[in-house]
Amino acid sequence: MSKSGTILYLDGVSVSFDGFRAINNLSLVLDRGEMRAIIGPNGAGKTTMMDIITGKTRPDAGEVYFDGTIDLTKHDEADIAMMGIGRKFQKPTVFESHTVEDNLVLALAGPRSIFPALFHRRSKAESEHIDEILATIRLEARRNDLAANLSHGQKQWLEIGMLLAQDPKLLLVDEPVAGMTDAETEETARLLKDIAKTHSVVVVEHDMHFVRELGVKVTCLHEGAVLSEGTLDHVSADDRVIEVYLGR
Amino acid sequence: MITQRLFTGGSNRRVLVTALVLAAVAVLVPVLHLALPPSSPFHVPAYMVALVGKYLTYALLALALDLVWGYCGILSLGHGAFFALGGYAMGMYLMRQIGDRGVYGNPILPDFMVFLNWKELPWFWYGFDQFWFAAIMIVLAPGALAFVFGWFAFRSRVTGVYLSIITQALTYALLLAFFRNDMGFGGNNGLTDFKDILGFNVQAPETRAGLFAASALALALALLITSAITRSKYGMLMVAVRDAESRTRFIGWRPENIKVFAFTISAVMAGIAGALYVPQVGIINPGEFAPANSIEVVVWTAVGGRGTLVGPIIGALLVNGGKSWFTGILPEYWLFALGGLFIAVTLFLPKGIIGTWDSWRASRRDAAERARTKAEEDAAPPPVDPATGRPVRVEETPRAPSPGLSGGPAPQPAE
Amino acid sequence: MTVLRVLFVLVGLALSGAASAQVDDEAIRATIARFADSKNFRETEEIVRDLAATGDVRVERPLSALSDGNLSFRKSDRQVFIAPERGQTATLFDPLTGEAAGEAPKGDFTKVKVNNSLRRTIRDVISGLTLASPDPVVRLAAARTMFIAPDAANLEALDAAIAAETVTSVKISLEAARASTILVSDAPDAAKFDAIALLGQRGDRETLSLLTGFAARSQGDLQAAAQRAIDTIGKSLALWDIGQNIWYGISLGSVLLLAAIGLAITFGVMGVINMAHGEMVMIGAYTTFVVQSVIRSSFPGLFDWSLTIALPLAFLVAGAVGLALERGVIRFLYGRPLETLLATWGVSLILQQAVRTIFGPTNQEVGNPSWMSGGFQIGQLALTWNRLWIVVFALAVFGLLLYIFKRTAWGLQMRAVTANRRMASSMGIRTPWVDAFTFALGSGIAGIAGVALSQIDNVSPNLGQGYIIDSFMVVVFGGVGNLWGTLVGAFSLGIVNKFLEPYAGAVLGKILVLVLIILFIQKRPRGLFALKGRSVEA
Ligand SMILES: Nc1ncnc2c1ncn2[C@@H]1O[C@H](COP(=O)(O)OP(=O)(O)OP(=O)(O)O)[C@@H](O)[C@H]1O
Ligand SMILES: [Mg+2]
Repeated sequence: MSKSGTILYLDGVSVSFDGFRAINNLSLVLDRGEMRAIIGPNGAGKTTMMDIITGKTRPDAGEVYFDGTIDLTKHDEADIAMMGIGRKFQKPTVFESHTVEDNLVLALAGPRSIFPALFHRRSKAESEHIDEILATIRLEARRNDLAANLSHGQKQWLEIGMLLAQDPKLLLVDEPVAGMTDAETEETARLLKDIAKTHSVVVVEHDMHFVRELGVKVTCLHEGAVLSEGTLDHVSADDRVIEVYLGR
Repeated sequence: MITQRLFTGGSNRRVLVTALVLAAVAVLVPVLHLALPPSSPFHVPAYMVALVGKYLTYALLALALDLVWGYCGILSLGHGAFFALGGYAMGMYLMRQIGDRGVYGNPILPDFMVFLNWKELPWFWYGFDQFWFAAIMIVLAPGALAFVFGWFAFRSRVTGVYLSIITQALTYALLLAFFRNDMGFGGNNGLTDFKDILGFNVQAPETRAGLFAASALALALALLITSAITRSKYGMLMVAVRDAESRTRFIGWRPENIKVFAFTISAVMAGIAGALYVPQVGIINPGEFAPANSIEVVVWTAVGGRGTLVGPIIGALLVNGGKSWFTGILPEYWLFALGGLFIAVTLFLPKGIIGTWDSWRASRRDAAERARTKAEEDAAPPPVDPATGRPVRVEETPRAPSPGLSGGPAPQPAE
Repeated sequence: MTVLRVLFVLVGLALSGAASAQVDDEAIRATIARFADSKNFRETEEIVRDLAATGDVRVERPLSALSDGNLSFRKSDRQVFIAPERGQTATLFDPLTGEAAGEAPKGDFTKVKVNNSLRRTIRDVISGLTLASPDPVVRLAAARTMFIAPDAANLEALDAAIAAETVTSVKISLEAARASTILVSDAPDAAKFDAIALLGQRGDRETLSLLTGFAARSQGDLQAAAQRAIDTIGKSLALWDIGQNIWYGISLGSVLLLAAIGLAITFGVMGVINMAHGEMVMIGAYTTFVVQSVIRSSFPGLFDWSLTIALPLAFLVAGAVGLALERGVIRFLYGRPLETLLATWGVSLILQQAVRTIFGPTNQEVGNPSWMSGGFQIGQLALTWNRLWIVVFALAVFGLLLYIFKRTAWGLQMRAVTANRRMASSMGIRTPWVDAFTFALGSGIAGIAGVALSQIDNVSPNLGQGYIIDSFMVVVFGGVGNLWGTLVGAFSLGIVNKFLEPYAGAVLGKILVLVLIILFIQKRPRGLFALKGRSVEA
């Protein structure tokens, strides 16, 4: 399998914690501009896979390449983020003592060293970009509220907004619609599809309705390895997937 | 740019007012001390000038701690070490100003070296006869130590209580080291018997007044600078690191750099405080490195309210004023009082004076606002989302009082 | 002369064999009195020999005094005294019993004169006497003296003594003394080679300096042989040195373990930073002090039991203080480690000041029971009983805690609460009580550590302060939440510290250890035995 043309290339990745194999010889390839949905039962290793890609966890074995050429196992979290991998966490994590707007300001693409930050003044372009993002995530009205006071769903959206502000090449989105109403779920699906027009995206979700909405290739993980891959219909027809995940 | 920031925003007013008050005190107290006869009711006696001058340097130290603890979440139990290092740098300058007026009359060697039978000045004492050199060292010694220490500690992601404990070990190690005679810093007795500073007699009322003014102005300036720092985007980052360190990594920031910078700046401020402290009290000895001293700074900051800048200044002045008063009437009980203060503040006043005041104000404002929106709501139909046609959910729960900077939510791991 | 001496030794031996060799005092005193009338050195020597002929070891006292020039007689009544002079006065002692007999002006006395040849005779006579002593301890001491300061003249006496000796350990010493004597004598080379070989098997410092001295003044093969023996001894001594350092390290490590193990529970298991931990140790030490004071004043016979009585009391007192601390302060601060740190620091100030107010700021006298005092030697290792008992005690406490944690229901509950507080409480574990008693247990352990530390450290209000940073270092180094980590941490820090000390000095050694720990935390931020998993990642 060639790495060129891929945005993300995982081959034979394994990781174990105190002898427990969370990821077991996992291989996964994502083409540039592709959106992929990942499903799988609890503990399948979906979040751990994202940990590996973003440098939080080091794999014991295997290759992890970004953009065909960059070996991610040699870089740390901040480096990887700067190369263009953004991540939304399963448990929404935003800067609670900051306002919604400031959360976006901190995430905004740009230099990441001390002195520019010390003397930073917001440019017009930046302000406009933030307004745009706020409109997209529908938090204009809350822009000056502390993030701590947002509801669970709103925090999810704020995290997606931070991803947008970061403007990465690859977005890793962990369970974006957990705790959302049906309407909000649809809205999120629409937003992600929008984003996917210009970015590569990996979405982890348990909500089958949402995955169907996305209408993209699906990978089902189980016990740290790929169980099945293909269209949602193909995957959900797979006996093993039904066995371990969907249920009869 | 920074000055521009200074004059924006309402909460900024407190900082500005405090800085102005300090500037006024810097002028008024020396004038009242020097120009009025002791008989005048407005005369400020010499002991007051010395005492308050000392407190002001303590306040600067507390402010330095607030920058790292209140904003960056680094509870340093070793800030006394930076204070003492700055103090030693100043002390070395003052020692060399004694010249041949020491007990042994040696023009080059300070008394304690003659006493120890040393023949020549150790290399690290070179240059301290020049004030400019000493001034550089006052900044450099604590700054460099903080930078190196912070670089090691933060890079390996030592956080929370672990960090606190190794900062305490740091100052403890320095305490042991400075107690040794062969370190060349006067051992047990430290540096004392100073004569001149910049050509003025350290004992003279004018010099004391000048030192007082310098302390007040340094504090005012430091307050303005820290306020500018915390208000900048970098300041926002410090708070972000404090609340969710690993999250900042995933958007590309390096928390270790952010922390090292804050730690170093803070150490430099502490060093300057120490340098102003030494000529006013006339001695610097290894006791300043004692872990107990550093931890006392923490309680000043906590009493005033961490993460409020002005709070720690008030806390330092209050606690030290209280200490002077208390040790005057009931010396044996001061430690009981101090210990009680530690407990009481953490249990009953975790946000400190200023922080508690702020949240009380905020809750009153919120209550007023809620009453107003309630009235409006009753009058108008619920707002409707134009896209879905459903009524927009209005936050029913009353908004939690603004946590402010001091009472920020517990740090969350990024998962 | 030599014949005389051999004869004399034989006589001595015969006398010692006849169990009660008590020549009556009067005869000896009469002989001593003759010193006053001695006209010249020859006469004096005769008296010396007569004294020796009594075979009574007690004559050593007047003879040594004579040799030191301290034997005088009163001009008025010609009575003989041991009368060392200081300034214008002489202090008087009975020549036979050494009992003090007051003071007198120096001018009232005349010294019995000695010269060097007389001194030599006296020394020979004395060593012969002591070698012949019926008491093996005295014989051993004599052998040691001759070993350290050999004199060729003693050779025959030694040979005779060796032949007659029945106690093995004394015999070994005598043989060593003989070997050392041969080296300074004009014995044939073959005998000297044998002596070197015999000495080479001993591994102590004195032999080393003896051989070094010999090597310096000999040549050729003898020198080479001596040099070889020196090298072997040097090597074995280096090993013993390492052993001694390890022992010191273990001893320090056990102290650290005792101080830190309670902390390992409160900090490691509960995550509570208890800055007042050192004060719990102090409370334990003061409990010991109080117990000993009561025993001294009311039941002096029980003194050897004082520590045994103090142990449970210290556990209870410190545990109760800990329980009060947990219920009164700490429980409101769970989940806020930095605040806990500050509040407990406040508590430590209050406890220190309270003790200072009650007992005063000075060191209190805490005695060692008899079984804790003194020491003994294994090979070249010097061990003291108090250190040894503390090591044993520390390990026993460790074992007990390990047992509580791993084998009892309470330990299981503690571990459950550590792992997942909410889950544990929903399973019906009363988490508040588990917390409170775990904390009390940690404090109580600190209290009994205080009992042990009172034996080797000053009992003052600052006692705890000296241990708190070290104990935290042990826990942090060993890895939080793991008792084994604390054990390994304590002993490795203790040993490293003691190995650094000879090179860097005590203070610098300590600083170096602190720096090393700071660097170590770089590599392993969670300590040696770190817990892994998501719960610890923050
Ligand atoms: N740091 C860690 N230490 C120990 N075990 C871990 C760690 N990280 C993950 N695991 C284990 O790896 C397994 C996979 O976890 P992961 O969070 O990746 O699952 P997931 O697929 O995201 O599940 P979910 O759908 O519930 O989010 C789990 O059993 C988890 O307990
Ligand atoms: Mg997951």
